[in-house]
Amino acid sequence: MTKYTYSLVFLTLAIFLTSITSAFSQETVDSLAVQKGEQIYKANCTSCHMMTDKALIGPGLKGVTDRRNKVWLKKWINSSSDFIASGDADAIALYEEYNKVAMPSYYFEDADFEALFAYLKNPPIVEEVVTADLVLSEEEGIKTSTILMIIALFLLLLVYLLTSLKNKLKESIGQETETIPETLIGQFNSFISDNKNVAFVSFAALIVVLKFSYDTMLGVGVYTQYMPEQPIAFSHKVHAGENGVDCNYCHSSARKSKHSGIPSANVCMNCHTYINEGKITGTTEISKIYDAVGFDPDSKTYIEGYEQKPIKWVRIHNLPDLSYFNHSQHVVAGKVECQTCHGPVEEMEVLYQHASLTMGWCIDCHRETEVAMEGNEYYTELHDQLKEKYKGEKITVDKIGGIECAKCHY
Amino acid sequence: MKTTKKYWKGLAQLNDDPIVEKLAQNEFVEDLPVDQFLGDKENLSSTNSSRRDFLKFLGFSTAAATLAACETPVVKSIPYLVKPDEIIPGVANYYASTIYDGRDYASVLVKTREGRPIKIEGNKTSSNARVQASVLSLYDSSRLKYPLKNNDESDWRTIDSEIKDKLLRIKNGKIVLLSSTILSPTTNELVKSFSKKYRNVEHLMIDSNPYDGLLDANLESFGVRLAPTYSFDKAHVIVSFGADFLANWMANDYATDYINGRNPKSGKMSKHYQLETNLSLTGANADKRIQIKPSEQAYLLSNLLGALKGESFDKRLTKIVKDLKSSKTKSIVISNSNDKNTQLIVNAINHQLSNYGNTISITNPSKLKQGNTSNVDALISDMQNGNVEALITYNVNPSYTLANSKEFNNALKNVSLKISTSQHHDETAHLMDYVCPDSHNLESWGDANPKHGVYSLMQPTISPLFNTRQFQESLLSWMNKSDFQSFQKNYWISKGVDWNKSLHDGYFNLNEPSIKVKRFTDNSISVAKKNNESIELEIYETVALGDGRQANNPWLQELPDPITRACWDNYLTISSSTADKLGLSNWNVSNGAMNGSLVNITDGNNILENVPVMITPGQAQNTVGMAVGYGRTRAGKAGDNVGFNAYPFLNTKELTITKIEGEYEFASIQLHHTMMGRDIVKETSLAEYIKDPSAGNHRELYHTYKGKLPSNEVSLYEEHDLETGHFWNLSIDLTSCVGCGECVVACQSENNIPVVGKEEMRKSRDMHWLRIDRYFSSDMTKELSKEEKISAITMYSEMEVPSENPEVVFQPVMCMHCNHAPCENVCPVAATTHSNEGLNQMTYNRCIGTRYCANNCPYKVRRFNWFQYSENEKFDFHMNDDLGKMVLNPDVVVRSRGVIEKCSMCIQKIQEVKLTAKREGRPVKDYEAQTACSSSCSTNALVFGDSNNKESKVWNLRNDERAYDLLDHLNVRPSVFYQTKIRNKA
Repeated sequence: MTKYTYSLVFLTLAIFLTSITSAFSQETVDSLAVQKGEQIYKANCTSCHMMTDKALIGPGLKGVTDRRNKVWLKKWINSSSDFIASGDADAIALYEEYNKVAMPSYYFEDADFEALFAYLKNPPIVEEVVTADLVLSEEEGIKTSTILMIIALFLLLLVYLLTSLKNKLKESIGQETETIPETLIGQFNSFISDNKNVAFVSFAALIVVLKFSYDTMLGVGVYTQYMPEQPIAFSHKVHAGENGVDCNYCHSSARKSKHSGIPSANVCMNCHTYINEGKITGTTEISKIYDAVGFDPDSKTYIEGYEQKPIKWVRIHNLPDLSYFNHSQHVVAGKVECQTCHGPVEEMEVLYQHASLTMGWCIDCHRETEVAMEGNEYYTELHDQLKEKYKGEKITVDKIGGIECAKCHY
Repeated sequence: MKTTKKYWKGLAQLNDDPIVEKLAQNEFVEDLPVDQFLGDKENLSSTNSSRRDFLKFLGFSTAAATLAACETPVVKSIPYLVKPDEIIPGVANYYASTIYDGRDYASVLVKTREGRPIKIEGNKTSSNARVQASVLSLYDSSRLKYPLKNNDESDWRTIDSEIKDKLLRIKNGKIVLLSSTILSPTTNELVKSFSKKYRNVEHLMIDSNPYDGLLDANLESFGVRLAPTYSFDKAHVIVSFGADFLANWMANDYATDYINGRNPKSGKMSKHYQLETNLSLTGANADKRIQIKPSEQAYLLSNLLGALKGESFDKRLTKIVKDLKSSKTKSIVISNSNDKNTQLIVNAINHQLSNYGNTISITNPSKLKQGNTSNVDALISDMQNGNVEALITYNVNPSYTLANSKEFNNALKNVSLKISTSQHHDETAHLMDYVCPDSHNLESWGDANPKHGVYSLMQPTISPLFNTRQFQESLLSWMNKSDFQSFQKNYWISKGVDWNKSLHDGYFNLNEPSIKVKRFTDNSISVAKKNNESIELEIYETVALGDGRQANNPWLQELPDPITRACWDNYLTISSSTADKLGLSNWNVSNGAMNGSLVNITDGNNILENVPVMITPGQAQNTVGMAVGYGRTRAGKAGDNVGFNAYPFLNTKELTITKIEGEYEFASIQLHHTMMGRDIVKETSLAEYIKDPSAGNHRELYHTYKGKLPSNEVSLYEEHDLETGHFWNLSIDLTSCVGCGECVVACQSENNIPVVGKEEMRKSRDMHWLRIDRYFSSDMTKELSKEEKISAITMYSEMEVPSENPEVVFQPVMCMHCNHAPCENVCPVAATTHSNEGLNQMTYNRCIGTRYCANNCPYKVRRFNWFQYSENEKFDFHMNDDLGKMVLNPDVVVRSRGVIEKCSMCIQKIQEVKLTAKREGRPVKDYEAQTACSSSCSTNALVFGDSNNKESKVWNLRNDERAYDLLDHLNVRPSVFYQTKIRNKA
């Protein structure tokens, strides 16, 4: 009963809070403009600016709309060099502060500038809901075992109660009482004295053993949850989750090749030339990249004649050689989200194998997934033929030969 | 019943001897010297482990192995630190380049994966099996890995300074650069500046199989010592006297042109006469083949020239004379003779027929053969006289290829500075003071000018694997310079060549004015008929090995000869009647493999012992043939001591043959020679074809309840749905297929097909997914037996015997991808199944090796992996070393022991093409999907495509009147079909 009360309170609170936020946002911010502004920001500004206090190449943009007015900002963005030349004191000071590097010119339409300004004024609020979710799911995980424990305790209690009841009854009619072990042994002896019982139990045990070994055998070579320690404690959560870096930015060959590709260190250096310190691990992990490529973070230069050391990542997803898998087939042609197979990577502090990667798992998906035919001219003719052939049924991958042996084994 | 009887183990027990009691207590009467043994440290350290230790070790290692097996193997994944822009792991890059090894030339596309060349394809020009296989020679573990000084490892700095020092000290003697024909204009430039720096430099070129006769004749006739180019596509009549122009002659692959001139659909087919001694690949494709002895060639040519001028002629030439007379300006007459006078007659004939300027061009000559053997004879005497102080060799192996190599080797001792630039420590290189190993073509920069106005560029597709340096760099460093790449680039830019575009395309043409030749001078002398009763010899090059440069290439060694179907050998080819006369024979042993007699041969100067004899239909009477390129002694693990060396007999005309005791074991993979009256290869003549396009291809009809029907309309099977999506088909035109075997090597390269070696080949355990069957015609036919009332038994036994001068057909056979596949029905584990695109799929990881499918396959195209061929020292070919494995295609599985494998129709290529189309959101284009065999075919005999695409070539071919299914009566509905062979018979 109390449980219901708590839920109700929580629900009311939640509804109340949401209504407040939405009411607040409707009042002051044009959310469409913020969205548009975010796109513009991501397309143009992220390589030099962060939405925090921290400077990257240019200054951090947190609270920039408070520091500068709209007109000033527009002039600066449109052409910082002209603005500096015009003799604006703030502009010159900024220029001097950042090693006399002028910001490149961006000519935005008025509407676009408004949107960008709106975004800068209302930067996204980092929500902490994710962690709460995780805790919840962990609790759920514990529950099943707790229930089993409770059941076991309950059964033991039952045995105790029944035995003591029996003893009470025996006492009342003056018979000799038994301790709990005596009762159990007696019961057990009478049970095994019947051959039928023994046969039944042995048979059941055999079945259990067989089932257990069958499951074990099936599990050979299946490494779900495989979470090896990596040479660099790279956090997908920070990169893909919090910073929202697109998967394809680092794993660029996933769109072109059978391999998704582990990014080469020069891709890391695109950002880490400027970002020298991480949130969680500080400089320890990032300096491992510098150590590999020979980069001096202080002078921001590559050390000449440095003997570079390759980074030996531990491969997590290992398909056997006998099966062919192509990332670009799934990502581009099939339009499958990375997370479908790799799980919630953006939440993984340490990456682990999410799916079992067994053939059964592949085939199950191929039987259920519809082929992404819309808008792809490769399928135009085939789609018409298939529509006629399967009359209204879903056209799943297996219907175009997606579970044939030689699609993956050659 | 209990017994009280007591048994004694001996008298001692009966007598109650105390020893019995003692023994029962203690087995060892004397104390074992355990303490003594273990206490003695010295003794202990000098012995191996005790029994107990052994058991401990055993137990521990077993446990450790078991535990280790349980653990997940940790796989490391090491990305680039700085990824090159053009490399995407998993995506192939193609680079245009050139292959020229001093013998074979081709402009090629090199397929690389992660920076490793894995496959070679022709770049809009034809190539051959050796060019296809040259990618494996890159990963040859017997290549030289560092420079050598006096056959010991050295370094470039030492070698260079010593060589420069010695070269500078030469005052009077000559410095000779002995090379193959050089096609590279920039290399020629370098040689020129080398000659300027060091005085007395002489540059000599030799060809392993010399063409002096032809070149010298042209010098007399036209004033230029060059070979002409031939347009076989324009010729209506081709008369070849022994020239194997479809395979080896002039090192130019004329097959494409030849087949372009033979298109039955247009009704125009050249008429091809071949007058030859050995049955060559070209002879096998001829419309009319006449057997002649080598000594008759000059006479017949002279006779032909007379006939064209209106004189009387040999009756064997009747049709040729008639055809040639009616096709002036549209004919080609060629000869393989290395005799100047014979070639002068050939020139006179072509001049008489006005072929120069029409089908033959001397003003736009070929540059492929420029060697001059007489230079070498002069060089040898110069060396003997001590006039040569330094000898540098490049792309040649004179100690192996010269007929007088012994003299050469002896004379070499008088040369004070001997430098080889060979890639291998070969027969010549190991006699040299310094070896400066050249890099492989695929590791080098370069260019080539194969014929007038046509140029192609060579670019490296991989960094040198070893500490080697390309010859040009060596030359430069001896001139205190370096950087051949820039030298070459600047050279071409200064000639006005668009460097980047040309490098991208791989070739460019320069508009050069035709070369000036003097007016034709007829110096031909008529030759009279000579009767020669002795046995004559003709030397030839095999389609697989050529001059033996790539003898250490196991793909080539295992490529069966198109005519004899034997591999890993050379032999004396002889006709059956001559063999009978000499008491020689071939026979089959109990497992079907072929054995042959042995002979000793001599020409007076040279003696060769234990030479095996191969009876070859088509060989002229009283003649024998012998292939060069074998019998290498310093080629490497695959090429050493395979066959015998025939080069000493290069100039031999006549042979004495003596039969000796003993027998030789051949590895021939086709033991039947004729079709036994069946229509496996359907054939007709051009005249018949013009009358009725389906001539020779009438389908048999079968009685059914619906009346008489062709087999494809009768079926008990449930049909596969082949109309939806793709339907991959392969058409094989038997008129265009010349049987060169390029597709076999291309398939081997694409599909990671292992090399199994001679012993396994002999047991017919070849692994080639694609084979080219060869059939000879027989004198006995079903019609003849009816006419002459010959009994069936006699008829069939006579049908087994090929004619003395047979017609030959070639038929490439791979998995037919039957749509009613007999193999699929019998597999107990469903390892072979059908795809909805008309392919018969083979799933290796599912196969348990019952071989039911191979047994049930009517085409016998399924191959069983009897052994693990990779990582197995018993099969010490490329897949047994780390280097050789670099050639493997990462998209195709390396099959293991105990599974069946077969042609997959290059499914990896089909899937790739489909995926590219899907990614780009467009339909698959017709030319895109190719199999390894179809893309390698120089004559476009193999055409692959989607039959559901009504605009595709292959759909048109499927509906052609010539199309037929192999073993049609079985009604297995293959996805591979053939086009009838059409010969231009009179």
